[in-house]
Amino acid sequence: MMLLVRLSLRNLFRQKRRNVLLGSAMALGIMILIVANSFSHGISDIIFNKIMPYVAGHVAVRFNEKGGVMAEIFRDKARALAAVANEPLIERTDESVGFFMRAIGNGKADNIILVGADTTRGVSKKELKELEESFKMVDGTWKDLETTAVENAAILSTDKARYLNVKKGDVLRIRFRNMFGQDQAARLNVVGIVKNSNIFMQSVVFVEQRRAKDLLGYRSYETASLNLRIKNPQKNSRIIADRIHSRLKPGLAYIQGTVSNKNKEQTVVVFGYKSDDDSKEKFSKKLKITDGTLENALKKNGVVLCRPLARALGAAAGDEISLRYDRKFEPEPARFACKVSAVCEPTEGLGENVVVMNDDKFYNVYYESLPKNDDATPPAYLPKEGDAWYALLSPEWILLKRTANTDEYTKKYKEMGKKKRKSTLIDVSTMYETASDILKLEGVLNLITLSAVLVLFFIILLGVVNTLRMTIRERTREIGTIRAIGMQKNDVRNMFVLETFFLTVFSAAAGVVGGFAVMGLLKQMTFNMSDNPFGMLLVDSHLHFVPTVLGVLGNVLLIVLVAVLTAYFPARRAANLSPANALRHYE
Amino acid sequence: MNIIEIKGLKKDYPLGNTVVKALRGIDIAVEEGEFMSIVGPSGSGKTTLLNVIGCIDFATEGSVKVGDREITVLNDRQITDIRLNKIGFIFQTFNLIPVLNVIENVEFPLLLMKNQSRTEIRRRADRLIGEVGLTEFAEHRPAELSGGQRQRVAIARALVTNPDIVLADEPTANLDSVTGAAILELMKEMNRIEKTTFVFSTHDANVLKYARRIVKIKDGLLSDN
Ligand SMILES: Nc1ncnc2c1ncn2[C@@H]1O[C@H](COP(=O)(O)OP(=O)(O)OP(=O)(O)O)[C@@H](O)[C@H]1O
Ligand SMILES: [Mg+2]
Repeated sequence: MMLLVRLSLRNLFRQKRRNVLLGSAMALGIMILIVANSFSHGISDIIFNKIMPYVAGHVAVRFNEKGGVMAEIFRDKARALAAVANEPLIERTDESVGFFMRAIGNGKADNIILVGADTTRGVSKKELKELEESFKMVDGTWKDLETTAVENAAILSTDKARYLNVKKGDVLRIRFRNMFGQDQAARLNVVGIVKNSNIFMQSVVFVEQRRAKDLLGYRSYETASLNLRIKNPQKNSRIIADRIHSRLKPGLAYIQGTVSNKNKEQTVVVFGYKSDDDSKEKFSKKLKITDGTLENALKKNGVVLCRPLARALGAAAGDEISLRYDRKFEPEPARFACKVSAVCEPTEGLGENVVVMNDDKFYNVYYESLPKNDDATPPAYLPKEGDAWYALLSPEWILLKRTANTDEYTKKYKEMGKKKRKSTLIDVSTMYETASDILKLEGVLNLITLSAVLVLFFIILLGVVNTLRMTIRERTREIGTIRAIGMQKNDVRNMFVLETFFLTVFSAAAGVVGGFAVMGLLKQMTFNMSDNPFGMLLVDSHLHFVPTVLGVLGNVLLIVLVAVLTAYFPARRAANLSPANALRHYE
Repeated sequence: MNIIEIKGLKKDYPLGNTVVKALRGIDIAVEEGEFMSIVGPSGSGKTTLLNVIGCIDFATEGSVKVGDREITVLNDRQITDIRLNKIGFIFQTFNLIPVLNVIENVEFPLLLMKNQSRTEIRRRADRLIGEVGLTEFAEHRPAELSGGQRQRVAIARALVTNPDIVLADEPTANLDSVTGAAILELMKEMNRIEKTTFVFSTHDANVLKYARRIVKIKDGLLSDN
């Protein structure tokens, strides 16, 4: 064996020019393959490890009150957190507090995204390392966000600071319309500047989490959308998302309260009815109006009482009645007045002391002041799933279907945008579906480079076969000699296969080294793409490569295997030459 | 004892639509330790005969016994083993392996045999190189040697396995007459010390005086001894 190795190695160096040429081609192929592979893997790495976890978490639970894009609020934080509680695979849960607004610095104004940063809770070493990799403090520290010495301490990126012409100690004025439509203004004090590796984060201005929530108008018991960090996200994200999704199934929304008219009071249950055309039609079929008009009942502020309740209250259509109920999170009861639009006959399945109102009006009341319903004595008539009424009455929220990929996800949101929603929408999604296109992109990139390289491989293989044939022809008499001396056929064959094997291994090694060198060089180059979407693919204005052991070894193995297989057949032919004919061979 | 016994050997080469009858019925026996020459004009069948004896070509007809074994019935692996263990070759064009130096060329057959230790192999190769007078060229590559030196290496290589027979096809044809004579002297010397049977071909009458037995071949037939 040693003899064969020695012979094939020496023979390899015999035809230097020919083998160097072929080897260079192979090395080039491997190099391109490795660089391209590492690049596309780098893109996924940026998206899934450097952007998505900060923007949306591995799994995001998004709340959109009344379907509003900006209104990322859920009024019952405890309940939202309960849905993600007791999951050991969830490493951490963050409220994603963020809002677009206008900031005015020293003579310059620009759009920013105000983001709440939770600096008070402990972070793991791993998180800290990732954080420090993505955000390098230039001035100040994260802890400075907690200071009470100045109003609204804020940290912003080097780029934003430059553009707004502010530095540490300066003041930023911000103006925005909050999610409830109110115009707001505030001052931020710059306590730190951070250099972040991705332009995605350049517009972000950090303010301490609770202060950010205050500024944006969240109350302490309300929560913004939730971003979850998952252990081993690739494996677990979908499972966790599915589980959370199933826990967030809504029930019917209702208010247990007291209605009064003049000096008469009645304990009632208030429901909303769905106001889309389809539900409204079904709803009107169920109503037998005895007073007032159906038309009014179906209006935005439509309120319908049951006849026994109306009688007990001495109320008729057009009367103003008032409703009072205990609130879940505030000490004083909620009170509001409404005008009776219609009175109807009691209908089956809904009871008598019931007020039904258009969901537009209902949700306004309900979300602003969540009722403290008496769970111990639920309403006597509470429609259950499958009941005719259940489908017509307003749910606590609408839970959007889970989706498998970006296509489905965007389709879901497009459809949602068409309908005007009155209730809160809840969506549970993983970053792999919101950004599945990126994974697809990685696959496509790999496929493109692979097919380009396959062509190159094909050329290389022709090279291998051709080179080997030339070599064998030139060495025919040598083959005859070693066969005459007594080398077995298989050894002759193996000698030639080994020669190709070594050539390929050396070339592949050179290709790997070259690939890493090229990546190193490309990494040195700085690209200025801050106003270009491709900037997203850069880290610190540099190209980002993530070579994987599997990718490198896989490619090397592939080319070695293919080359050896190709060499096998000409080598076998050479071994099968008759020694006498080989010895007589004459060029 | 006869080390080679050939009876009714015929060898045809197909050539296009015709057949070249290179050997047309040869009977010959060679005794152990002989130093024998096959003479004949060009195209008479010397190479063909030596190839058949050396088990690198096959008889079309007849029986060929080498060292008591009928070789016409063996498969390629067995025949290759016989070539390795029983036969040494010396070629007109030397046929050294260009990527190996002198000592490696001589060791080559021993390495193929795989039954001796490295030191044994080295010792044996050193001895043979000494016997052919090339000790100081041991590290040279064939390209750095003269024709005569190359043929000496070939002789050492042929003898290193201690074969029963050494076959040499016109070993001096590519050498000038002085060098050729020296090579034949060396072969004869080796025949004397190693007791190895030598069969060599030539068409050069000058060479014949070295042979102890001469066999004449013409048109694929032996004429007379
Ligand atoms: N492979 C072959 N195919 C066809 N004919 C062949 C082949 N090899 C040899 N011959 C023929 O066989 C005959 C004997 O050839 P051989 O090589 O044995 O002669 P030779 O005596 O060695 O001649 P020389 O002294 O020129 O080497 C010649 O006529 C030759 O043309
Ligand atoms: Mg000849």
